[in-house]
Amino acid sequence: MIFPAILVISVIAFFPLFKTFYDSFFKFGLNPIFERQFVGINNYVRLFKDPRFLDALKNTIVFTLVSVALETVLGLMIALVVHQPIKFRGAIRAAMLIPWAIPTAISSQMWRWMFNDQFGIMSRFLEALHIIQPGTPILGRPGMAMAAIIAVDVWKTTPFMALLILAGLQLIPEQLYEAARIDGANAMQRFFRITLPMLRPTIAVALIFRTLDALRVFDVVYVMTRGSVGTETLSVYNRHVLMDRAFTSASFGYGSAISVAIFVIISVFAIIYIKSLKLELD
Amino acid sequence: MVSLMVFSITTITMTSGGVGKELEVLYAQLKEFMKENPDIVVTVIPMPDSSTERHDLYVTYLAAGETDPDVLMLDVIWPPEFAPFLEDLTKDYDYFELDKFLPGTVKSVTVNGRIVAIPWFTDAGLLYYRKDLLEKYGYKNPPKTWDELVEMASKISKAEGIHGFVWQGARYEGLVCDFMEYVWSFGTDVLDDKGKVIINNPKAVEALQLMVDLIYKYKISPEGVTTYMEEDARRIFQNGEAVFMRNWPYAWSLVNSDESPIKGKVGVVPLPKGPGEEGRHAATLGGWNLGINIFSSKKEKEAAKKLIKFLTSYNQQLYKAENAGQNPTLKAVYNDPKLKEAAPFMVELFDVFINALPRPRTANYAEVSDAIQRYVHAALTKQMTPEKAIAGLEKELKLLLGQ
Repeated sequence: MIFPAILVISVIAFFPLFKTFYDSFFKFGLNPIFERQFVGINNYVRLFKDPRFLDALKNTIVFTLVSVALETVLGLMIALVVHQPIKFRGAIRAAMLIPWAIPTAISSQMWRWMFNDQFGIMSRFLEALHIIQPGTPILGRPGMAMAAIIAVDVWKTTPFMALLILAGLQLIPEQLYEAARIDGANAMQRFFRITLPMLRPTIAVALIFRTLDALRVFDVVYVMTRGSVGTETLSVYNRHVLMDRAFTSASFGYGSAISVAIFVIISVFAIIYIKSLKLELD
Repeated sequence: MVSLMVFSITTITMTSGGVGKELEVLYAQLKEFMKENPDIVVTVIPMPDSSTERHDLYVTYLAAGETDPDVLMLDVIWPPEFAPFLEDLTKDYDYFELDKFLPGTVKSVTVNGRIVAIPWFTDAGLLYYRKDLLEKYGYKNPPKTWDELVEMASKISKAEGIHGFVWQGARYEGLVCDFMEYVWSFGTDVLDDKGKVIINNPKAVEALQLMVDLIYKYKISPEGVTTYMEEDARRIFQNGEAVFMRNWPYAWSLVNSDESPIKGKVGVVPLPKGPGEEGRHAATLGGWNLGINIFSSKKEKEAAKKLIKFLTSYNQQLYKAENAGQNPTLKAVYNDPKLKEAAPFMVELFDVFINALPRPRTANYAEVSDAIQRYVHAALTKQMTPEKAIAGLEKELKLLLGQ
């Protein structure tokens, strides 16, 4: 009974992965005039000499570290709140998922308008708070644009983080807290001695999910800035290499190498999490 | 007999944009075509609005060797890149009566002497201005040079408390169109006739400096212009919040629609020229062509040719211009009184459309465009000086074009 499952996984997961890996050792394009040429690890060597790739790598790491850190902290806070027996708990839990339920391409466009310098409601709000000068193009300034993109990603994915952590919270047996209370532990002690350790596997899984997602971020960046003013991430750069150059220069192999690089970076992050959070994968 | 007829029906598919009334107009045209040709059935695949996304779609279709779509709607800059995947129409030159088309549009579909598509509608960059405001401040004529534009825009925008000049400064294909117009208006170019990179010269630097100065020195363009595409600029202009706007012909019917607060107060002229003897009015050529997928069957290709011939015919081009606001590619249509009534500026500015210049013509246009976008945008957002941006652009273009 295992065979069909292995077959399906091989076809939809391992074959494309292997093919991309294999392609990354060649120089070729999708135009039939290009001859497929074996170049060994040249495409990988080129990665380290490509300033645009290195910039994209830096931007991706910054985006990932900041957004995932914020999402985890905020997600944990929200989960703790909605875990309490508060009024309208069901409704609040459902409502908080709305940002996550809107397709990213749509919410990104929505936010692009809200950050517009002329009529954007967020621009007006930040102007009123004297955080920005009137007429500042938030998505047209280096630094500010990345901050805005991270803010949108945090807005969108914190609910998902909260949902995962909430599920973890519900698995912690109530007796542990009761025993702790009897022993005289205060709220802080209960949180750091019981909640957090018990949540560790949940947080690890949530972190892995979010980090994998963040490292291959594409839509929010592409819709809001197309990678301008220092926001180009690896996936956005890879779209350029694979699509804009598909027929014109033999860079499909190079694009494959970038894809493999993204895969490797994601694996490294995953391994770090699994090791450092002592997660058992059984 | 009936079964024989059913058997001989050819089904072809075509891609089309859906901006404004474009799709509605096409469906009406196809209905008529199918009535005239009962043996052909045409189905339409609507495409996303953004040219970049359409490009991605075509790369996917053609790289996979798909036999559908049979008729491809192609941006004016794509034929050199997609030429290996397009049916050679050189022998059909007379069938499509290509000598009756605007020469610039025919040039755009000619790749190494081969005709690979037929021009469907054309476009050129134009300067929209507020007639009422210019009159109010005592200007008899719209600006002829950039200096005049800067002067009028500064004075009027300060007095009225609105923006002076809005255009397309986001990092995307539209920025290349705008940038080329400044470069040409100063009397220089990115590539010369032989395709050699000549961008690194004082005039090109001055042209880019002017774009930067419009924002930071003269302050007639809002800083946010570095995030604007066509519709962002149009919204501001149409709300009456700008004196001048650079845009394509499509904006005409919208700024003059019944909902528009500036209806009837707008004029259209050629874009201003640069300083000195070599300064000239320049407009970027835009527009879309129809090509045939090389992987289609012989029968489908024949039907596709009939369809293209029909869509690019005099009557259909006139109908499209009147109803979708898209400029004809056939010269004769511009003499038609019906066109003059529906879109007078198309007739009055015929010279602009006939003299519109193509963006750099090269098979790896998408890469060249990407380089222009990045360096020009870096200058507009003050991450690089115009000198550095132009020098960097030259270096990258030479690398891309192997010079």
